[in-house]
This record gives sequence, structure tokens and C-alpha cells, in this order.
Amino acid sequence: MRGLALPVAAGALVALLAVAAVQLLGPIAPLSHAEQAAAIAAELRCPDCQGLSVAESRTAAADAIRSEIDAQLAAGRSADEVRQHFVDRYGEWILLTPDEPLPWVLPGAALVGGLAGLAAWLLRGRTRPAPAPAPVPAGEAERRRIRDEVESLDA
Amino acid sequence: MTRSRLRWLLVPLLILPLSWLLFTGLGRDPADIPSPLVGRQMPAFTATTVDGTDLDSATLAGQPIVVNFWASWCRPCIAEHAVLSAAADDGVRLVGIVYQDSVEGARAFRQRYGGDWPDALDPTGAIAVDFGVTGPPETFFVDGQGIVRARHIGPLTPEAMAGLLAEIGVDR
Repeated sequence: MRGLALPVAAGALVALLAVAAVQLLGPIAPLSHAEQAAAIAAELRCPDCQGLSVAESRTAAADAIRSEIDAQLAAGRSADEVRQHFVDRYGEWILLTPDEPLPWVLPGAALVGGLAGLAAWLLRGRTRPAPAPAPVPAGEAERRRIRDEVESLDA
Repeated sequence: MTRSRLRWLLVPLLILPLSWLLFTGLGRDPADIPSPLVGRQMPAFTATTVDGTDLDSATLAGQPIVVNFWASWCRPCIAEHAVLSAAADDGVRLVGIVYQDSVEGARAFRQRYGGDWPDALDPTGAIAVDFGVTGPPETFFVDGQGIVRARHIGPLTPEAMAGLLAEIGVDR
């Protein structure tokens, strides 16, 4: 039985990898019209709400934007074209996820900078202080001077 | 420069830009959202007015015009209506677009507060979406070439009205 363990494990691993490959690389079912519309609505800010997307809101403005998304998709526009249609009217403000790279990069840069600063601060304590210079043996003149001083104290 | 002096230099280097960022942020008006329409052709629309006539935006071309989005349920619109009426009396061309409101509501408002400029109905909200309106009152100032020159969010004061009319070449 023991002799089978390795081939069985290898076979299981290959099967798992194959399933993963099919999942990741296989043809993705195209989004339906409704799914696409819902995905776009979720990325757009509801103009007359506070912090809600068009998908989450039931205001008349959100309704109007949803029907416009439907009309645009039905006319054969791509999701990016539909998003751009609203950016052209409301500005970047309408997008709940910013297009500019700065808001995405800044938190990461701050984190890396902070960690680098912390590491530098922690490692600084590790570096040992330079060893004290080795004592220089006193010469004959030095010995005599010390002896004279000690004797003068005794006197 | 010694290490400790370098450390003290870090304080102004970090604190000054941060304070500047916070102070300028405090002074900013979160309602002041730049409109991408400014500098571009006014969106075209056709609509039925409160009085039941047809209105085609193409017929508005050729002269400066003020496009005002309003609603009868919008309280700041009442105060603003006086400013619009004064401008209309001075010969400024206006067109109102009724935002998320019923015909009856809009008609009652006009009967109560007056005004004889056309008011287009926008039952689906499609015109408001085309103009990128965030909520009433909101006003667009369009020049004689049909180019949007300014967008004003919130009720117009007489001073704001005068300044914005000057931008589309209307001198009262």
C-alpha cells in the first residue's frame, strides 16, 4: 500500500491543478445584460444621495441613471463607454472608484514608508557602539608622575 | 549638520505641508463640483412645458440663456425664484426644467410665485442626467453660441446672478 501513496498524491495534485486551470483560464460566461447594468450602477454615485451608489438607491435620479444605463447597453455600447457617458456629464465625481492612480498608490506608499521608518528606527538600536579604545600601557615617565602625585598626597 | 538638527528639520517638513493641506481642505466647498459641461455645447433636449406646449432646445440657440433646474418641493427654489423673476423682468432669457416633480406641483408653484418663462417637464429625469444635475436648484449659463459657460449649484443670489450673466455676455 505504501508504494501507492506517492503516485496517488501526485495524481490528486495534478487533478487539482487541472481543475484550478479550468476555473481560471476557461471561458468565462459573458455577463448578461442585467448583470452588466447592475455592475455599472454599483460603480456610479447616486447624484442626490449621501454615499450611496446608483444600484443601492431608489431616488428618481438613480432611476433615471439606471434606465439610461439600460438604454445605452441595449444600443450596443460597452461598459466603459457607458461609464464615460456619465463621466462626461457629471465628471469623475460620479465614479465611486477613482480612475486616477494617486488615491490607490498613496496608502501603499505611506505604509511602505512607515514600515521602512520603523525598521530603520528598530535596527538603529541593534548596532553596537564602537568598542572603547584599548588602554595604552603607561610609560616610565607616566608611572613616575603618578608615583610622585600619590606620594605628595601621602605627605 | 548634526543628526539632532536634522531631526528637528523633519518637524516643519512634515507638519507644514500637512497643516496647509488641512487648512485649504477646510476652506473648500464640498458642494462645488466642477461640471464637465462647462466649455462644451449645451445638451440638446425636447420636452413638453408645464403649459402643455412643445419645447425644442434648438429653438433656444442664438442668444445667451439661463437654464434653471428647480422643483416645487425645493425650499431654496422659492427664494431663488425672486432672483430669476428680476432677471426675466430685465430681459434675460430663461428656461426652467422641472426636476423630479409633478405637473400639478410645478403649475401650482408658477401660479403662486409668477414668472412667464417656459418650464420644461422632465418626467424620466433624462434631461437632468444629460446636464449632470445633482439636485435643485442648479443653474447653467449658456452663451449665444450654445456653449455652457458656468454652472451654479444652490440658490442664486442677485450678486451671483449678475456675475454669472456677465460670463455669458449679458449686461443688465
